[in-house]
Amino acid sequence: MVKHKKKRWLDAQKVFVILLLIIVVLSALSIAKFYGLLIPELPQTIVHGNTVYLDSMSLETKIAQMVVVIGDRRMITPWKNMHVGGIHMYTLPTEYIFNNTVIDFQYNQKIPFFVTSDLEGCFNPFSRFRNFTAASEVTTLGDAFEKGFFEGEYLKSLGINLNFAPVVDLNDSIWKCRAFPGDVEKISKLANSYVLGLQSQGILATAKHYPGKTLVVKDPHKFVVGAEISNDDILPYGYLYDKGGIKAIMVSHLITTGSIDSQGVPSVVSPKVIQDIKDQYPGILVISDEIHMLGLRNFYQNIDEVYIAVFKAGNDVVLNFDRDPNEIYRMIQIIRDAVARGEISESQIDESVTKILKVKGFNVA
Amino acid sequence: MVKKKTLIIVNISLGFLAFLLLLSLFDVTIPSLGKAAFVVDQSDPVCLVSWNGEFNDRGNLDRCCLEAREQSSCRRTQTPEGQSDIKWVCGEGGTNVQYWLNAKAYNYCKQQVIW
Repeated sequence: MVKHKKKRWLDAQKVFVILLLIIVVLSALSIAKFYGLLIPELPQTIVHGNTVYLDSMSLETKIAQMVVVIGDRRMITPWKNMHVGGIHMYTLPTEYIFNNTVIDFQYNQKIPFFVTSDLEGCFNPFSRFRNFTAASEVTTLGDAFEKGFFEGEYLKSLGINLNFAPVVDLNDSIWKCRAFPGDVEKISKLANSYVLGLQSQGILATAKHYPGKTLVVKDPHKFVVGAEISNDDILPYGYLYDKGGIKAIMVSHLITTGSIDSQGVPSVVSPKVIQDIKDQYPGILVISDEIHMLGLRNFYQNIDEVYIAVFKAGNDVVLNFDRDPNEIYRMIQIIRDAVARGEISESQIDESVTKILKVKGFNVA
Repeated sequence: MVKKKTLIIVNISLGFLAFLLLLSLFDVTIPSLGKAAFVVDQSDPVCLVSWNGEFNDRGNLDRCCLEAREQSSCRRTQTPEGQSDIKWVCGEGGTNVQYWLNAKAYNYCKQQVIW
């Protein structure tokens, strides 16, 4: 009886040790998965001097180059392993952390990341350290240039190279500070001066939110709303493009009619809207709105369909701020599979990646 | 020396923990308390933006969450004068926009993958 009891006690101890070992292993795997360490490194691209050999890029690497993710330094390893195209910077506690985060991300990168921000003035992720003039308070071309210059100078000091500004919407009835004042002609000129100032510091500007009316329409009960677009709404884009400064346009999630008809779907997933942009403004980078902001749950069964729709529509750069690197990797694989079955053409991917690399300063062979 | 009964209870707990870790490795998640709080709260989510002392309804809650998260960290606050039910503010104020959320909106934002 005593021997039997002793045996059962020893069995319980063995089970304890085994379970403890299992938990240690599973915990290690869970932590590795959380930080994206189980994601394999995608093949390296061949870069000689200033030339990128497109054929050396795997399809997954090309797709990844089209994606801008959140610049969370905890995910630095998976973002670098996936060779994503860019990182977006939210607010951080100190300028030192901003700077070091960007330096660590860019370290040893054959193809540098886009490092993006949303600095518009009153809309300011750096408000802890620095204030900037609101667009609504800019009335002269000199002020607009100065605004761009000082914002660009500051962004450059932090290592940011692509800013999602200027807003060229004609009206802002919600914030009252994000749009330039005046009529469409004045807004276009102010925006152009801003772009000149920003880009004098080497920061790329992004005109947004195509095709307009994003700062006026709202429906608290819906995630996606519609708007009628006039010729005036899109005039600033043509003006900026003709002046030669603007390199990127961000497309909104509005369903539009009128001068720009998105054909019943949000603009950013409308192949017609995206193709119109590419036809009107050749060479410009088409950047999507953040992929989870699109309210597309009303149109699609699941997030996989949203991913495919955004790429299929023809966006060159897709913003996906999901912090889970495993989900980003899954998105890349979904798009890869869509290309493999012919739903998205590889030539479209190649065209977008070529544009991206050229904007980053490379020759593409 | 640990009592046998205690060890058995510990083993059962460890077994349960191992099961949960295995589920999480295969992306099977358990609803969090935050999600429960969101479901239980029957009020409407409220997101206001303010600049220069003027408040306006942001409308689109998803965009509110992203914009609020981008600008600054959020902190608990007293409800501003003239408003009701606001519990959180995101942003530094001054010449910068601020986002004001009620508990429902804040809990919604916390569930978003971009937050």
